[in-house]
Amino acid sequence: MNLKATIGMETHVELDTKSKMFCSCEVVETDEPNISVCPTCLGLPGALPVPNKTAIEYIVMLSLGANCNITNEGMFHRKNYFYPDLPKNYQISQFDFPVGVNGFLEIVLDEELHSVEIERVHMEEDTGKSVHIGSGRIDSATSTLLDFNRSGIPLVEVVTKPVISTSKMAVAYIEELRQLVIDLGISKGKLEKGNLRFDANISVANEDSNELGTKVEIKNMNSLKSLEKAIDYEIMRQSKQIEKGESVIQETRHWDENKQVTISMRTKEGSADYRYFSDPDLPNMIIDEEFINNSKKNIQNLPLDKRKTLKESGLSLSDSNYLDKGDKWLYDLYLSTVENTKDSKSTFNFLTGELQGQMRKAEIDELPDWVDSEKISNLINLFETNEVSFTSAKDILAKLLGEDIDPKSYATDNNLIQSSDDEEIKTLVTSVINENQDIVERLEDPEDKLVGFLVGQVMKSSVNKVNPGSVKDILLKELFG
Amino acid sequence: MSENFNIDDISNLASIELSEDEKAKLQKDLQIILEHVDALKNIDVKDQKIDIHPLSKVLELRKDESKESLKHEDAMMNSPETKDGHFVVPPSIE
Amino acid sequence: MKPSELFEQVYETASYTESVLHAHLELFYDEGLKLSKESDKRYTKNESLGLLDGIPIAIKDNINIYGYKTTCSSKMLSNYVSPYDATVVTSLKKAGTIFTGKTNLDEFAMGSSTENSAYGPTKNPWNPDFVPGGSSGGSAAVVSAGSAVASLGSDTGGSIRQPASFCGVVGFKPTYGTVSRYGLIAFASSLDQIGPITNTVDDTRIIFNEIQGYDSKDATSITPEYTKLENKKVKVGILKELMQEGVSNESQNEVNKVVNLLKEKGHDVTEISLPLTEMALSVYYLIAPAECSANLSRFDGVRYGIREDASTSYEMMNKTRSVGFGEEVKKRILLGTYALSAGYFDEYYGRALKVRSKIITDFKTAFDKVDFILSPTTPTPAFGFGEKTKNPLEMYLSDLCTIPANLAGLPAISIPTGLSENNLPLSVQIMGKPCSDYSLIDFAESIEEMVEFNFSPNLLKENNES
Ligand SMILES: [Mg+2]
Ligand SMILES: [Zn+2]
Repeated sequence: MNLKATIGMETHVELDTKSKMFCSCEVVETDEPNISVCPTCLGLPGALPVPNKTAIEYIVMLSLGANCNITNEGMFHRKNYFYPDLPKNYQISQFDFPVGVNGFLEIVLDEELHSVEIERVHMEEDTGKSVHIGSGRIDSATSTLLDFNRSGIPLVEVVTKPVISTSKMAVAYIEELRQLVIDLGISKGKLEKGNLRFDANISVANEDSNELGTKVEIKNMNSLKSLEKAIDYEIMRQSKQIEKGESVIQETRHWDENKQVTISMRTKEGSADYRYFSDPDLPNMIIDEEFINNSKKNIQNLPLDKRKTLKESGLSLSDSNYLDKGDKWLYDLYLSTVENTKDSKSTFNFLTGELQGQMRKAEIDELPDWVDSEKISNLINLFETNEVSFTSAKDILAKLLGEDIDPKSYATDNNLIQSSDDEEIKTLVTSVINENQDIVERLEDPEDKLVGFLVGQVMKSSVNKVNPGSVKDILLKELFG
Repeated sequence: MSENFNIDDISNLASIELSEDEKAKLQKDLQIILEHVDALKNIDVKDQKIDIHPLSKVLELRKDESKESLKHEDAMMNSPETKDGHFVVPPSIE
Repeated sequence: MKPSELFEQVYETASYTESVLHAHLELFYDEGLKLSKESDKRYTKNESLGLLDGIPIAIKDNINIYGYKTTCSSKMLSNYVSPYDATVVTSLKKAGTIFTGKTNLDEFAMGSSTENSAYGPTKNPWNPDFVPGGSSGGSAAVVSAGSAVASLGSDTGGSIRQPASFCGVVGFKPTYGTVSRYGLIAFASSLDQIGPITNTVDDTRIIFNEIQGYDSKDATSITPEYTKLENKKVKVGILKELMQEGVSNESQNEVNKVVNLLKEKGHDVTEISLPLTEMALSVYYLIAPAECSANLSRFDGVRYGIREDASTSYEMMNKTRSVGFGEEVKKRILLGTYALSAGYFDEYYGRALKVRSKIITDFKTAFDKVDFILSPTTPTPAFGFGEKTKNPLEMYLSDLCTIPANLAGLPAISIPTGLSENNLPLSVQIMGKPCSDYSLIDFAESIEEMVEFNFSPNLLKENNES
C-alpha cells in the first residue's frame, strides 16, 4: 500500500507593536509578571476592547505579502472556551470574515519553486502565560502560576490549505513566512521567543485516494527541528496504524521533545464548541482602498523580490533562497561585493562559508564597521587571481575582522603574494623530484595520491608562496610529459 | 424546544456545575422560554442583513501608543491567591 | 443650601429610609462629607465646577468606582474592589458631584424587581409591600425616597425606565453609544446603556449633559450629532401594539390622558403600528442571554471575586460559578449558551439578530412620519414581592414596553403621570429617533408641565408627619 501525507499549517505570528491589540498596555519583554496589565487585558468587569490601528495595518501588509484578497468589511468574533490564562474566557478572534483569504507563499526546495496555498489570515489576541509548578513534571503539577503581560498582544493566525506533503516542505514554509514577517517589519520573527508558534494538521491516506485521512493536530513544536521531527514521527505513526488496518483517531497530540514522540492530549469533553459570535463590543471593521494603499506603501523588498535579485546576479535558486533568509547585512554585502568580483558562486561561498564561519567562531554578530564590500571583494579577487592562496586569504580575513587593514597591502607586507613565476617553480620541482626518487619510481599515473604528496613537498620548500595549481601542472609535465 | 437540549452539555459548556434540583428547575424554566421564542420562526428573515448598532457605526481604530497600565498592586489586589507576582490557580493541566 | 448641608440632609434621610428600603448596598458617608465640604469652599470662592458641583448622586452597583466594592449584587463579586473608574464616574467626579454610595440591583442587572439581589431585595418607597422594579431598583428607590438627589442606573431592556416608573420618578435611557459603557459591568453589550434617574426632567438633562459624549475607551461610543426639533408642534405616534391586551387599562389610560393634553396644545397625535414589536420580547430573550453568556464568562475565580477550592482549575471554575451566581443569572447564561451552540445558532441567535435588524428598520420608517412615539412605560404599576417569581415569562413581560427601544438603540424616557387605584405611580414612555436625546428631553419636560405630577411616597409623608 502506498501512503501519502497531507499537512496543513496553522501559525500564530506575534506582531511587533508598541501597545497591545485591544488596550494601551505596552508590549514588554520581561520576567517580571503582571506589570503591563490593565482592566481590558486582565478581563476585569466593565472593561472594553479598542483595536490597535497599527496591528490592522500589519495584518493587511502580511495578507498582501502572502498574496491574499483583503476582506473589505470584516468583523471580530468571540471564541468561547474556559482556560485560566484566557482572562475573559473568550478570545477575540475572527471567524467568517478574516482580513486575508485565498493567498499563497512561494517556497524553495532544492532547486524547485513550490506554491503553498494560504486559506486565511486573521487577527486575534494572545493569552496569558501559564507556568506549571510542582514536581517538575507537567502531568503532576500542584499549581499553575499566571502572568498576563502577554495577554492581549496582537497575533496574526496564518492558516494554509492542506497542501504540504513533507516535513521539509513544512519547514521551508515556516522559514518563508518567518522571513516575510521580518522583511515586512511587522514581527521580530524569533522562534525561540515564541514570536512564531505553529501547529500542524497531519493526515495520512492511500496515495490513490481523493479523500484526506483522519486529521491529527500536533502542538508544542518550539523549533524548526522539532517541527521536522514531529511531522516525520507522526506520518510514521499514522502509516503504521493504517498498514496494520487500524483507524487513526481524530485528536490533538503534543510533541514530547524529550521522548521525541507525539503524545495524545486528554481533552475536556465538548470543549470544541467555541460558540463563535460577532463581538458586540466591536462594530464592523471597514478596510477600504485607502487603508490598503497606505499599508501597501510600507511593503518593500520581500523574500520573493530578494530571491529574484539574487538569481539575476547569477546564483542558483537554493543559494538565492539561503541568502534571502539570512541577515539583511549579508544580503546587502553580497550584492555590493559581487559587483566587484563578478563571480557570484565564489562570492557566495566566501561570504556564507568563510566570513560567516569565522564570525561565528569569533562570536561576533555584526561586521566591524571598517569591513566593507570593497575590502571583501579585493580579498576575494586576490585568491581568485591566484595572487594569494586560499589559506592566506582565510588568514587575511581573520586579521581583517580584528583590525582595519587593506588586504592587498597586508598580503604584500607579509610576503603572502604567491609566485606564479614558472621558472622559480620549475627549480623547486626539480629539486623535490631529485630528493624523492623512491616515490617518483612508485608513481603509476597522474591521478596517483602521491602526486599530492609531492606537490605538498614543493609548497613546503617554498614556504607556501607559490600557487599549488601551477605547482601541480609543472610537476605533472616534468613527470609524465 | 429541541429534544436534543441536554442540560448537562450546556452547563458543561458554560462551566457551571448544577445540582439535580437546579437542573430540574432550570430545565423547566428554559423550556417555557424556548417555547415562547419559537414564535420567531414565523418571521421571514430570508436575505435579511444583520446590522446591530442602531447608528450602523463603523469601527474606529486606536493609534498604537502605549499608556500607563494598572499599578502591579492594583492589578493583584483582588487575586484570591498570589505567588511571586503571579496569580495562582489549581493545576490547569489534567 | 451649602453642599455639605445638602449632603447631611440626604444622608439623614437615608438613615431612616434605608432600614425600610434597603436601596443602598453601601453608603460613602465620610468620603462624601469630605468632598461636599471641598465643594462648599469652591462655592464660597466662586469657583463652582457647574450645576452638579456638590450634588449627591447614587451609583448603581454595576458601575465601577475606584477603591470601592462593585458587587453587581452578586455573591460572585462580594469581595471585589475596583481598581479603576468607569468613564461616567470620571465625568461626574470632574463635575464635582458627591457619591452617596452604591445602590442595589438584580444580580448582574438581570431582573425586573430587584428580588434577584444576593443581598436581599429593595422595597418600593410608595409601599414596601411592592417591588421597586428592576434592575435599577435601588437607584430608583433612593431618588424617590430622597436619600440621593439623583442616581445613575443602567438599562438593557428597561432597567432604568421600569423602576423609575414603579417609583414615580424620571428615568432616561439615552441613545445607544452616547454614554460610554466603559466601566459598566456588561450584561448585554449591544443593549446596555447608562442613564440618569431623577426627580425632574431638568435634572435628567443636566446629568445627561455631563455623562454623554464620545469615549475612546468604548468602541461602540459615538460622536453624537444631536437632532433639534424644527417646530414647536410635534408629531406623536401612539404605538398600537403597546395599547392592547397585555397592557393594563390603568397603564393605557395614562397614555390617553397625555394624548388629550397634547391635542389640547395643538400637537399632532396619530396611531402607528409596528407589528414586529410583538416579537421584541422573544428577540431580547435570545440576544441578551447570548451576549451575557460570554460577558459573564470572566467570572471564574481566577483573578478576582470568590473562589471555591478544587483540585484542578476547571473544577475550581465550575464550582466557583455554581456557588457565585444566583438562579436567574445561571438561567440566562445557560439559555444564551444554548442559543449560540453548534447546531442551534442559526435557529435561535442568528434568527434573533435578523429580526432585530428588521425592527430597527421598522422604527426608522416610523420616525419618517412621527417625531416621538408614546406608550405606557410598564404594562402595570408595581407588583408585589414574589408575585412574578414562579414563571419566568411573567417577570419578563413587565419589560414588554421598554425592550423595543433597547433593540433599536433609541433614546427613551419615562415620566410619572399619575397614581393607580392602589396609590402606586404610573408613567408614560416617550421614544425618540437616534440622537434626538435633547429634543426628547425638551418634549418630556413639556409633558411634565402638563401633567403636574405632585405626589410623593407615603414613606416620606409618614416621616414628615411624625
Ligand atoms: Mg488562533
Ligand atoms: Zn492592557
